[in-house]
Amino acid sequence: MLDPGHGGTDPGARGTGGIRESEVVMDFAAQTKTALESLGFQVLLTRQGNENPSFDDRSAIANAQRGAVFVTQHVASTGLPGTVRVYVMSDLPGSSDTTGLIPWERAQAPFLPLSRRFGDLVQSFLSQRFKGSPRTAQVAAVRQLRTTAAPAIAVEVSSVAVDDRGQLDRMAPGVADAIARGASAFRPSYVVATNPGERP
Amino acid sequence: MPRWRWWLIGMLVLAVAIAAGYFPVLKRNLRLSAQAPAKSEEQVRRELTQPAAANAGEPVGKAKLFWSSGARDGSLMAVTVDLPLPRDPVLRAKQVLNTLLAGPVDAELRTLPPDAVLLAFYLLPDGTGVADFSEALATATPSGIESEEMAVDSITKTLEANVPQIRWLKILVHGQEVDTLAGHLDLTRTFLVNARAAAVPVRPAAADNSAKAAPSGATGSAPAKPVAAGTKKSAPAQKLTPANPPGKLAPTERKP
Repeated sequence: MLDPGHGGTDPGARGTGGIRESEVVMDFAAQTKTALESLGFQVLLTRQGNENPSFDDRSAIANAQRGAVFVTQHVASTGLPGTVRVYVMSDLPGSSDTTGLIPWERAQAPFLPLSRRFGDLVQSFLSQRFKGSPRTAQVAAVRQLRTTAAPAIAVEVSSVAVDDRGQLDRMAPGVADAIARGASAFRPSYVVATNPGERP
Repeated sequence: MPRWRWWLIGMLVLAVAIAAGYFPVLKRNLRLSAQAPAKSEEQVRRELTQPAAANAGEPVGKAKLFWSSGARDGSLMAVTVDLPLPRDPVLRAKQVLNTLLAGPVDAELRTLPPDAVLLAFYLLPDGTGVADFSEALATATPSGIESEEMAVDSITKTLEANVPQIRWLKILVHGQEVDTLAGHLDLTRTFLVNARAAAVPVRPAAADNSAKAAPSGATGSAPAKPVAAGTKKSAPAQKLTPANPPGKLAPTERKP
């Protein structure tokens, strides 16, 4: 599941050169989709054009899939241009729900170890390609990840502050390849629950 | 020549003589003022926003503030500054946060928008600090996971280093809980400040009368009617944890 962030009335980060995050991430998502499909993955996008689904709508699409992994794509306002960082959700309190259902507000909680493993794999491929990028995934309270009941990561490219949109466009194939290779390396360790919504 | 002309000429000569005598003094004053270091806009602003006047008489101590390291990798750097540091944890938290908001001398290293203002700060009996910032925190923080994470990190690390009584931090924007800081970072949760913090009773003096709204469910003091910890009968005691943060106040719809 690929999630190009922002869209519609929300352009996301904006550079002084007129670069809009919501447009850049659509291109990144398209190339990532192609790279993943070439490795045999079935890929869905949370938005097809310039729409702006809510955080929960995006999570709902992912949570309805069985055996999905979720990648939300962003472009930062800051950071060292030419670097890419992967984020996984910071700790969430587990559920004491006796019904066995996963609370929507903390849907990511049971998937945190898997998300960390997936994030580290993608980040390691990114750091090989983009010098100055971290070697392991970072931890942050990313809103979009919290309600996603699947191994989920955020990939953020730096940055809209570049002078030329072409600099970001040239990063897209490398980012797409790293995500696809990360997903491929992660696949054997992801034991899918029997039923959708079940804990991993 | 008429007599009045002699008087006029005499007055003019006297004025010139006085001006000639004053000229070296004027020249010296100009030289001295040129030698004095010019205050940057940042320094002037910091002096204006510095709440030191409000804490006159408080002992000056070393406060550790966290601003950007400048490495452009999201890392922070601790800077030690001399500040009046009140013993009261709420006043102390306000002091360090206001100084953090004022920013470093190098504006490039700031982590929070220059227009953001701390409207109020509460400390709940369980050690949860509630920081209420003006709208500018949400509207002027650069959009992005890294920049938003850095903004929140600078707040939590600064509180951890200077106010040992704070265990958790809840961030409000203009008295309201918001979904995200600037489109990415989740502000519906509380952030861990210091796991070893010891909860302390909140004194009535800690209440902030400038607050716009108190977090609902708070068992501590409210802005309009300061109540000592544990004495507010109308609100049942509520265990506040990251899963059960204080204040669920009409969250505003925020799209990703």
